[in-house]
Amino acid sequence: MNGRKSFGGGGGGGRGKSSDQKTKDGQRRPMFRRRKVCKFCTDKIDDINYKDVRMLMPFVPERAKVLPRRISGTCAMHQRKLRTAIMRARQLALIPFTTE
Amino acid sequence: MSRKYELVYVVSPEATDAQVADLHTQVEAIVQRIGGRIEKTENWGRRKLAYEIGRHKEGTYVLEVIEGSGDVMKEIDRRLKVTDLVIRHLVVRIDEEQGVVERMRARRTEVSRRRRVARGLPPDRQPGEGQRGESDDDRDDHFDMGEDLR
Repeated sequence: MNGRKSFGGGGGGGRGKSSDQKTKDGQRRPMFRRRKVCKFCTDKIDDINYKDVRMLMPFVPERAKVLPRRISGTCAMHQRKLRTAIMRARQLALIPFTTE
Repeated sequence: MSRKYELVYVVSPEATDAQVADLHTQVEAIVQRIGGRIEKTENWGRRKLAYEIGRHKEGTYVLEVIEGSGDVMKEIDRRLKVTDLVIRHLVVRIDEEQGVVERMRARRTEVSRRRRVARGLPPDRQPGEGQRGESDDDRDDHFDMGEDLR
C-alpha cells in the first residue's frame, strides 16, 4: 500500500505491533546510538556564515557533499542555513564542489 | 533606501599589492559616485583555492561591507565581471539576515534571564557556574557514519 515496505508477510496493516518478535529475526535492536542533536542549536550559533570555513568543514566530508541531516542530526532550519552557506562558500572556492 | 551588502572578490595571484589596492579604490569610487559608504574592508591575503579556477590555484581574497542601494551593487557587479584580474566575486545582502540573528539572540538571552529569575537566581550567568564553561571548545565534529548510510 502506498509503496510502503511491509515485511513479515501475512495480513496487511499491522504496523508497529512487532514488539514480541524483535529478538527472533536478525533485527539488531539493542544497539545504542547516541541521540543526535543539532550542533547549531546546542552551541547557540545563530549565524551560519559562509566565511567561516572551519565551522563548515565538518559538514562536507571527503566527497565534499553536504552531510545529510539524518547523519549530522542538524535541525531543519539550521540545515537550510548551512546549505546556503556551503553553496556560497563553494562559489568563492573556499570549499570544493567535489573531490576527484 | 539603504541596504547592507557584503562583497567578496578573489583577485588573481599574479596581481601585485598595488593592483589589489587599485581595485579597492575603484570599488570605493563607484560606491562614492552612486551614493553609499564602505563600512569595512578586510584583506584575507592569499589563500589556496578549493578548486582550480581557470589555471589559478591561489587567490587573494578581499571582503568589503558596503552600505548603499541596489544600484551601487549592480554597478560593482558589472565592473567586477569585466575585470580580468578578478577571478571570482560574490555579493550577498546581509542587513535582513543580521536583523534576524540579532532578534534571535536577544530573545534567547531574554528567555534565559526570565527562567533564571523564576528559579531565584541572578539574571546573568555567574563566573564558574555550570558544568561546562562556554569558552572551552571541545569540538565534537565526528558523526557516526555507516549504518545509516545506505
